[in-house]
Amino acid sequence: MNLRTQRGTTTASRLRFGLFCSVVLVGVLLPDSSQANEPVAGEEKPAALVTFENDVQPLLTRFGCNSGPCHGKSRGQNGFALSLLGFDSDFDHDSLVQSARGRRISTAAPEMSALLQKATGKVPHGGGVRFSVDSPHYKLLRDWIAAGAPRTPADAPKLLRVVVEPSTRSLAPKESTPLKVYAEYSDGNRRDVTDASAFQSNDRTIAAISGEGLLEAGPVPGEAAIMVRYMGHIAVCAVTIPLVGTVPDEAYAALPRNNEIDEFVWKKLKLLGMLPSAPASESTFHRRVFLRIIGRLPSPEETRAYLADTSPDKRAQLVDRLLERPEYGDFWANKWADLLRPNPFRVGMKATWNLDAWLRGAFRDNMPYDEFVRELVTASGGTYRNGATVIFRDRPDTVEIGSSVSQLFLGVRLECAKCHHHPFEVWSQDDFYGFASFFSRVGHVGGLSPPISGAEEIIFTKRTGQLLHGRTGVPVLPKTLTGASLTLGPDEDPREILAAWMTDDANPYFAKVMANRVWADLMGVGIVEPVDDMRATNPASNEPLVNFLAQEFKKEHYDIKKLVRKIVLSHVFMLSSIPKERNVTDIKNFSRYYRQRMRAEVALDAVNDVLGTEEKFAAMPPGSRATQLWTHRASSLFLDTFGRPDPNQDPPCERMSDFTTPQVLHLMNSPQLNAKLSSDDARPAKLAASTEPNEKLIEEVFLLIYCRLPTADEMNRALPLVAAGDRRKGLEDLFWALLNTPEFLFVD
Amino acid sequence: MALHRNCEGMKRRDCLSLGLGALLGGGFVDALRLRSVASEGKPAAVTRKTSCILFWLDGGPSHFETFDPKPDAPSEIRGEFQPIETKVPGMFFSENMRRLSAISDKFSIVRSVRHDQNNHGAGNHYMTTGAPTRIPVSCGAFVSFHPSMGSVVSHERGAPHGLPPYFSLPDMSRSGGPNFLGARHAPFVVGDDPNSESFRVRDVTIPNGLDDGRAVSRRDLRNTMDSMLRFQDRAAGDPVLGADQNYQQAVSLITSEEAKKAFEIQQEPKEIREAYGRSTLGQQALLARRLVEAGVPFVTLNNGGWDHHSNIFPAFKGQGQKLEAVVATLIEDLAQRGMLDTTLVLVMGEFGRTPQISKLPGSNTPGRDHWSNAISVLVAGCGTPGGQVVGATDRYGYTAVENIYGPENLVSTVYRKLGIDPDTILYNTTGRPTHLVSDSRPIVELMG
Repeated sequence: MNLRTQRGTTTASRLRFGLFCSVVLVGVLLPDSSQANEPVAGEEKPAALVTFENDVQPLLTRFGCNSGPCHGKSRGQNGFALSLLGFDSDFDHDSLVQSARGRRISTAAPEMSALLQKATGKVPHGGGVRFSVDSPHYKLLRDWIAAGAPRTPADAPKLLRVVVEPSTRSLAPKESTPLKVYAEYSDGNRRDVTDASAFQSNDRTIAAISGEGLLEAGPVPGEAAIMVRYMGHIAVCAVTIPLVGTVPDEAYAALPRNNEIDEFVWKKLKLLGMLPSAPASESTFHRRVFLRIIGRLPSPEETRAYLADTSPDKRAQLVDRLLERPEYGDFWANKWADLLRPNPFRVGMKATWNLDAWLRGAFRDNMPYDEFVRELVTASGGTYRNGATVIFRDRPDTVEIGSSVSQLFLGVRLECAKCHHHPFEVWSQDDFYGFASFFSRVGHVGGLSPPISGAEEIIFTKRTGQLLHGRTGVPVLPKTLTGASLTLGPDEDPREILAAWMTDDANPYFAKVMANRVWADLMGVGIVEPVDDMRATNPASNEPLVNFLAQEFKKEHYDIKKLVRKIVLSHVFMLSSIPKERNVTDIKNFSRYYRQRMRAEVALDAVNDVLGTEEKFAAMPPGSRATQLWTHRASSLFLDTFGRPDPNQDPPCERMSDFTTPQVLHLMNSPQLNAKLSSDDARPAKLAASTEPNEKLIEEVFLLIYCRLPTADEMNRALPLVAAGDRRKGLEDLFWALLNTPEFLFVD
Repeated sequence: MALHRNCEGMKRRDCLSLGLGALLGGGFVDALRLRSVASEGKPAAVTRKTSCILFWLDGGPSHFETFDPKPDAPSEIRGEFQPIETKVPGMFFSENMRRLSAISDKFSIVRSVRHDQNNHGAGNHYMTTGAPTRIPVSCGAFVSFHPSMGSVVSHERGAPHGLPPYFSLPDMSRSGGPNFLGARHAPFVVGDDPNSESFRVRDVTIPNGLDDGRAVSRRDLRNTMDSMLRFQDRAAGDPVLGADQNYQQAVSLITSEEAKKAFEIQQEPKEIREAYGRSTLGQQALLARRLVEAGVPFVTLNNGGWDHHSNIFPAFKGQGQKLEAVVATLIEDLAQRGMLDTTLVLVMGEFGRTPQISKLPGSNTPGRDHWSNAISVLVAGCGTPGGQVVGATDRYGYTAVENIYGPENLVSTVYRKLGIDPDTILYNTTGRPTHLVSDSRPIVELMG
C-alpha cells in the first residue's frame, strides 16, 4: 500500500470524525458551555516552562497513549490519532491542539480539557484511567495546557542519549530494585526522566518492570533485558538472576573443552550458576549429526559401523564424511529456499526452478557466503539464465526488496521503519528509505505478468532512478545503515556498493547473522532469537559466543562447511537433551541440547527411508527425495500437514514448526502411509520374509527408526510380536508403533 | 422474542443507557455502542455457541444473475433472465434463484458490498480475511497476508470433542490459511467426496483393512515402545510434552463418538440426503451441518467455477440453480432443526461481474468480467433479519450506492455474530500488534 495515500486519507477522516466527536462531547460533557469559556481565576504560573517535545510527548509514550493498540494506530482511536510512539511531533501537536477544534485541550480551563478528563477517567475513556488528578503527571499536563500548549523551541538543548542505571544487574530470585533513567542534553544538562520513561521487559516471568521503573526478579533464574524508552531514544538494562547456591570453580574447570565454543558457553553458565547436562550417548550423537548436517537418518549399517568404531577421532571423521555427502547441498539449499523461494504464481515455474537450481549449486559447491550474497544482491541478467535474478522478479517493489535484504542478510528489520520510527530500535524512516534506495535503479524488462509468466524477464541496473520518501515525498539518496547518504554517478551500480558494504569484514551485522543462523540450524535454538532480528533490545543469549562465531566465519573466508564443522565438534553440540538439577530451567544458554521436531521434508524422507519406499512427486524424477523438491507447489498431503512454507503466503518464509493434532492423525491413519507400511515391497514385508533370527529383526527395526539398539526390556516386549503367528503383521505393527512415537519424530 | 437479539445477546436498548441515543440516532448509535462495548474489553460471553457455514464461490458470481437483477437496464446489461418475485413483497431475485425466492423471509441480501481489488487473488484475500493484500497481487495468486475468518474463529473459539474447529471442503480456499496464527489454525481439509458411498474423513478413521482391534493394539504397542524421557518441569519447555498432548487429542478424536457421528454422513436418513441432492456440493453442505451440530464453529465449502467470462447464462441455469437449491435446503433444514438462530450461512465470492455483457476474444458465448464495485452477499441465520435487502446498486448495477459496506464490515459482522470482538488485537510472529479487522464496524442492518 502506498504510504502517502494511506496517511492522506486517514488524516482527512480523522478530522471529520474528530469534529463529530467534539460536538458530541461538548454536548454531553459540558452542558454549561459558558463555564468552558470563562477564564479560570487565580491560575498560578508554572515554575519552569513545560514544553511539548521535552515533557508532554514522553508522557504520551509512558502511558501508552500513542501505542499501536490505542491512539498510535494509523486511524487513531475514537477520532484521536497520534503518531506511533511519538515519532512525528508536528502531527501530534496538531492533533492535540488544533484538531477537534481545540476540544482536546482548553487553555482557558485546563482541567476541562478532554485530554485530562479522559486520562483521569472523569469521562468514559476506552483506555481506562491512566493517572490520577493528584499525580505529578496531571500537574505537568495541566501546567502545559495553561501555558498555552507551547512546543519545545527549536534552539532548545538537544537530547543526546538516554542512560539507564544500572545497565547490568544481578538479582536474587524475587529481589527488586529501582532503575533510574537519565536524559543527557547537548548543553551538558542531565535530567532524571525515570518518571516519564516507558519500560518493557523482554521476559516478564524472569524479570518484571513496573511503570515507575521498579525492577522485580521472578522466582525462576534466568536473564532478561529491560528496554527503556524516552523520546525515541532507547537504553537497555541486562538483568541476570543466577541459580541459588554456589558451584565450585573446579566444577567449571573440569568441564571438557573441545574448542573455543565450549569455553564461551561454560563462562556463561558459570555466570548463571548452571551446570551442563551429561554428554549424549554415541547413538544419539550419531543420529543427531546426520539429521543436522544432511537431513537424513543414518542407515542401520552406518549406525552399527559407527558404534563399533574405536578410533579416537571417529566423530571428526564422521563429520568430514557427512560434509562431503551429496545430501548436504540439497538439505542446506532446502533451508535457504525457505527464505528465498518465490511464489511461482508471481514469477512463473521456470524462474522458480532456476532460483532453486542456483541455490542447490551454491551449497553443493560450498560457495563462500559473501560471494553467495553478492551474487544475489547484484544479480543481473535473465531469469532464464541467472537464477539469482529471480529474487528481483519476485520482489519488484524497491521498498520490498530493500526490507527483505536487510532482514535476511543483516538481521535488521527495517520493515517497521517504513511507516513509523521502529518501536524497538534506532531505525527511522530515513534509514529505511535510504537503504531501499540502493535498489531504486534496478531495471526490469520483459516477462509477461504472472500467471502468464512464460517469458523471461531481464534484470539490469538503470543509469537513473530514484526512490521517494514515503512521508515527505522527497527523493532519498542511498545510505547504508552505518554511513552517510551517497550520490552515485550513472555508471556506478548502487547494488555493487551496497554488496561491498554488506560483505566488508567491518560490517557489524553480516557475518554475525549467518553464524547465528547456522548455529540455530544445528543447535535448534539461535544465540539470537528470532535469528534475523539483531538489535540492542533483543540481546543475544551469549554475545561473546556469537561474536566469536562471526569472527571465525570471516577468518575462514565465509566457508559455511568449516563453520558447521566447528560447531558440531564442540562439546556443547554433543550434550544430552536431558536436563539435570542445575540446568532444568535453561532454554537458551546451551547447557543441554534442545529437542526439535524434524522439519516436514526430513520427516517424509525419514518415513520412506525407514520403510524402504519411495515418494512420487509431480515434476520430479523418480526416486527424488522431499529435500530435493524445487517448489512447494508439488502436492503432498504429508508436507502440507507437517508444515512447509505456504507459497500462498507473502512473505512465504515462515515455516510452521508447530506440532499439531492433524500431524499425529496423519502418521497414525493416513491411507497412503498405511498402504506403504503394508506393501509387499516395503521393509516390513521384506524383513518378515528373511531368514534372520527374530532378535536380529527387532534390532533392525530399532536401528532404522530410533538409530539405536533396543534395550533388553524393549527386546523382550517386541519379541512376542514376531515370534507368534503372523510375523509380517507383527512387524508392521512394530514399525507403526515406533514411527508414531516422539523418539522417531524428534531430533534429540 | 420481543427484542431482536443478535448472537452476542446485546439489545438495542443497551445503548440508550449511555445517554447518547437521543443525540445521535441512526446507524451511528450502533457504531458507538459497539465501540463503547469494545473498549470495555471482550464482548459479553456468548451463551449459545454459534457457527458459520461459508459457501465460498471462487471466481466471483454475478450479482445480476443472482440477487440484484436490473430489469430496466438495456439488454446488453440486463442479460437473458427475468426477475422473479420472492416471498417478501418488493424483493426480487434473478429467475434462477427459485428455491431461495420461496424462502426469502429467512435471510438478508446485502447488495452494497464493494472493494477495489479486481482480480481473483486480491479479491479472495480481501473478502475472506477482511484485509486487503499488503502488496498488489495477480489473478492467479493464492496469497495470505492476514489470518482468514476460519483461522481466526479456530484461534478464538476452538471446538469440543477433539474436533478441529475449522473445516474446509474439499480444499482450502485461496486465502483461507492461518497466516501468523500458526499451523494449528489451518483448516482441516476433507478432500474426499461425501457423496461417495465409501466416504470417510481423512486420517480420522482407521485405514481400510485394519480392524478396530488391531488399531487399539497398535496404540497399546506404541505406548509400551515409547520410552523417550520427558521432562515434566515446565520450565524445561520439553516440546515432547506438547506432542503428547496432541497425541491424546488425536486419540480422543478417533475414539470420540460425537466426532464419529458427525463424520458418518451415511447415518443420515435417505430423505435428507436426497433433499440436499446427491451431488458433491449437496452432501458437503449436509456434512457441514453435521459438523456444526457437533460443535464445529467454522466450515468453508470452497466451490469453484464462478468466473463466468463466457457462457454465463447456461451456467446460471445449471450450476447456479444447483447451488441455490443446496443453499435453500440447508437454510430450511437449519431452520427446521432450530439451528438457524445459532448458525450463520454466508454465500459469496470475491466480487460481482461487469454490467456490460461481453465476449472474450475467441469466445462466441457472452459473459461478464470482474467487477468489485458491486457485490451481493447472502446472509442467513444467527439473528440476521429475514426478508431484508441491505443497500442498493445504481439502476444499472454499476456500483453500490446506498449503505455501502466494505469487506471489513462484512467480516466484522461475522466475527460479532460468532462472539469475537473484531477490535481484538493479535500479535504476529514478529510481535507486531495486528488488528483483527481495521474497520470493526459491522453491517448494522444484519445485527438485528
